Amino acid sequence: MLQYFDPGKPALKPDLDYGTPPATSENTVSLSIDGYDIEVPEGTSVLRAATLLGIQIPKLCASDNLEAFGSCRLCAVEIEGRRGYPASCTTPVADGMAVTTQNGKLAKLRRNIMELYISDHPLDCLTCPANGDCELQDMAGAVGLREVRYGFEGENHLAAETDDSNPYFSFDPSKCIVCSRCVRACEEVQGTFALTIEGRGFDSKVSAGQSEPFMDSECVSCGACVQSCPTSTLMEKSVIDAGQPEHSVVTTCAYCGVGCSFKAEMKGGQLIRMVPYKGGDANHGHACVKGRFAFGYATHKDRICEPMIRESIEEPWRAVSWDEAIHFAANRLKETQSRYGRESIGGITSSRCTNEETYLVQKLIRAAFGNNNTDTCARVCHSPTGYGLKTTLGESAGTQTFDSVMEADTIVVIGANPTDAHPVFGSQVRRRLREGAKLIVIDPRRIDLLKTPHGGEAIHLPLRPGTNVAMVNALAHVIVSEGLEDKAFIEQRCDQTQYTAWREFIQEERHSPEAMEAVTGVPADLVRQAARAYAANGNGAIYYGLGVTEHSQGSTMVMGIANLAMATGNLGREGVGVNPLRGQNNVQGSCDMGSFPHELPGYQHVGDAAVRARFSDVWGVAIDDEPGLRIPNMFDAAIAGTFKGLYVQGEDIAQSDPNTQHVEAALTALDCLIVQDIFLNETAKYAHVLLPGSTFLEKDGTFTNAERRINRVRKVMAPVAGLADWEVTMALSNALGYPMNYRHPSEIMDEIALLTPTFAGVSYDKLERLGSIQWPCNDEHPEGSPTMHEVDFPIGKGRFAVTEYVATEERTNRKFPLVLTTGRILSQYNVGAQTRRTENERWHEEDLLEIHPSDAELRGIHDGDWLGISSRVGRTVLRAKVSERMLPGVVYTTFHHPGSGANVITTDSSDWATNCPEYKVTAVQVEKVSQPSRWQRHFEDFDERQHELLEPAMHGRAPDDVSALK
Amino acid sequence: MSDDQLHHLITMVNQISANLHHAGSEDEAAGAVAGHLKKFWARSMKQMIIDYAEQDGSELSELSRKAVASLQKPAETT
Repeated sequence: MLQYFDPGKPALKPDLDYGTPPATSENTVSLSIDGYDIEVPEGTSVLRAATLLGIQIPKLCASDNLEAFGSCRLCAVEIEGRRGYPASCTTPVADGMAVTTQNGKLAKLRRNIMELYISDHPLDCLTCPANGDCELQDMAGAVGLREVRYGFEGENHLAAETDDSNPYFSFDPSKCIVCSRCVRACEEVQGTFALTIEGRGFDSKVSAGQSEPFMDSECVSCGACVQSCPTSTLMEKSVIDAGQPEHSVVTTCAYCGVGCSFKAEMKGGQLIRMVPYKGGDANHGHACVKGRFAFGYATHKDRICEPMIRESIEEPWRAVSWDEAIHFAANRLKETQSRYGRESIGGITSSRCTNEETYLVQKLIRAAFGNNNTDTCARVCHSPTGYGLKTTLGESAGTQTFDSVMEADTIVVIGANPTDAHPVFGSQVRRRLREGAKLIVIDPRRIDLLKTPHGGEAIHLPLRPGTNVAMVNALAHVIVSEGLEDKAFIEQRCDQTQYTAWREFIQEERHSPEAMEAVTGVPADLVRQAARAYAANGNGAIYYGLGVTEHSQGSTMVMGIANLAMATGNLGREGVGVNPLRGQNNVQGSCDMGSFPHELPGYQHVGDAAVRARFSDVWGVAIDDEPGLRIPNMFDAAIAGTFKGLYVQGEDIAQSDPNTQHVEAALTALDCLIVQDIFLNETAKYAHVLLPGSTFLEKDGTFTNAERRINRVRKVMAPVAGLADWEVTMALSNALGYPMNYRHPSEIMDEIALLTPTFAGVSYDKLERLGSIQWPCNDEHPEGSPTMHEVDFPIGKGRFAVTEYVATEERTNRKFPLVLTTGRILSQYNVGAQTRRTENERWHEEDLLEIHPSDAELRGIHDGDWLGISSRVGRTVLRAKVSERMLPGVVYTTFHHPGSGANVITTDSSDWATNCPEYKVTAVQVEKVSQPSRWQRHFEDFDERQHELLEPAMHGRAPDDVSALK
Repeated sequence: MSDDQLHHLITMVNQISANLHHAGSEDEAAGAVAGHLKKFWARSMKQMIIDYAEQDGSELSELSRKAVASLQKPAETT
């Protein structure tokens, strides 16, 4: 007898549709289907049980990512002792059941159903874009449909008009069979509820919003409906244009920190579409508008295809061979060091590149540059997470899997906006909220999670920007003073001396919600309710984002969050935990790989002689025992004239870092700026060497997502300039006289595993076998660690930290009475270099300043007005959007377009422990204006000039000497 | 060294002191601040702040001054 007991596994073969979702019961049921015996978990559908046996029952409305619906009736079966022909998708298995899936009566029934479907369906199969991938066609074949007796003359939907409004997919209702899969995918998978079935009976039709074009509806273009459509009603325009793909490769998305697995569906070297991979443990077959659709940047005409050099940034670029560019770069770095000293150069690793590439860049800096001047963009996003979690819990990473949220009873979201910034996880949170979990949002903005359709109870604590620590202390005060602590957990798992000190501190009346109300602006009663909901409602799970870290007390807040989790015992099992939502695809990985100036790979401090000895042995060089410069320190040193050379891989510091004019002054002061990127980004405009980068589609490697999951990135097309990023770093290292000779990224991973205790058990072979691995992966956890801190902490006992609230020095006053806070939006990604070069631009073609109606009225501001925004460091101009999503006194913008100059106004103020910039709090004034700011006029001139200097050098082909460097 | 650079270092160390001054007794707090600088600051930054503390130090908070005074100048390696 076949036995299937794997409630945790969504599907056994990721490419097979099992018809209905898996059942999770631990009890099993035995039955026979077509004479074959099988034992499956209770609650499994007959359809799924049959599929597990290898018996394919015809179906149209069923899919294993959607709850059974029972509308198409094609999956009807006969069950011994029962009347009629029940739908196998909605019929659960029962002990002793005997099912027949095929006989004459069933065949006739199915044929009749198909006949009805086809009588109202165009017969243009040969020219239909779904040809070759159409479930309706497959079912017609499966049931042996040979004629349609009803003819096609009667009333039908064949003339229904196509809706082409969405740039990525078309909606052709003439091909719709009203199976409701798209509607259910929008509800159950995505959680947006943008689609409905309008009308009854024959008049039923799929409708976006209230009979609107898709683009005008609430649709967020995640594509779940397109993927679920069994016909060509909802179809990718790329498939309509190019035809069906012929092979596919499983790889990992290069957008946000969710790290979705995709099948890159190809036609030769052309990417036709990205289909989220059901076997991916981070996303289980779901995706968002970025990952699924916004890949056109990879083949955009702006791609840099040749290495380029120039003596100064006033000169035109010269396209040269790889050899010439690499030697030009190496010579300049060597000259700089001989003139200004060993510590006068450094590098920035990329959180968009692979682990292997990041590892190589920091190795290049430590071994070939001979210093620790390495940093990464995590400096400006999650460096406080590293500091705060390492100090309290002993490891610089989130504690859970994404799936863990499905066990959470109270979900706390602090300073994060998952439905925009981590959309696939956002959908998962919404699913859990629909199941009844409570939601607590701590954020100055009213984020969309609070508007979850059919969500449960939600509490919003709309605090003033910059008062996070006051808030987390107030929550902890309630937990302690109301006796909501998990005493057993604290006693067993936490250091008692530190706990006692913390408890004494937090109990002080000045931390009570009543006392803190004046600081946070949030009613004390609401804070008490939230604390109780987190501490005393089963599993409490905290998810947080840059609204926590990008403050002057970012690190303190992270420790405050860890305090909450320890005090309530919400650690070490499913459904709880402390979870940073990482911004970029590989920001977790870039931190893990030793990008920070004080830590070697695996967060091992450079001051530890034993650690240095192990690295020195393998690398063959001595390693500096003092930390190097962080990005903002590099800028200061550059302006001071002691830091002169910088190698930047895949990071746009000129756009993403705060106080743009300060950054520009620093970059201008460099003698040697080497930028490796796929486009002429803002930083590259200040560069002397431009090395073409490769996209995630053009190389092998791994990314590590926010749940510590190491996922394979697989090459599906050749790098446009012939070399992958890791090969370029190797060439530079070799030219500098430090040999690197890896033949494949897997060899780099082997070295990482050798030197990084938490990666000791990781190899490409194992990744191939398991699909993905969550570190720590070592002898103790050979298949990885989905949940951290189950038994103890890496530092033994958990350490409570005293978290004194220190108000930011970035304060409002009469001159700057408003607080600016920044964030991101669903359709755009970070600096926008990728998404701005796709149709995603249609959703967000400019950054707007959101302002509360009361602040707008005071200043006579209306939607669309040009607004001058001034801070203590700069001024820029954006258009107004009057919105109630923020509190009065708070204005908000995004930073996806370089010309917006959002970071011209953000200041040097930063986190006390890590120098992570305080992007979330800038005191500003806003007024109506009629022209762009002086910086913006300078930006436009400089941008235009730099493109003029680039244009003549762009030939759109790779140099001839690629093979020499392979 | 530029004034800006030194000014930033002074702001940073004072900010660290403001956030760590609750870490036990005054000596313990100074130890925590010094430990932080030792662990996270680059050699050149430590040298600059030590030089400043020795020559002037007026803009350092009391705790910062105490912490920096306990800091050893990092050795130059070649």
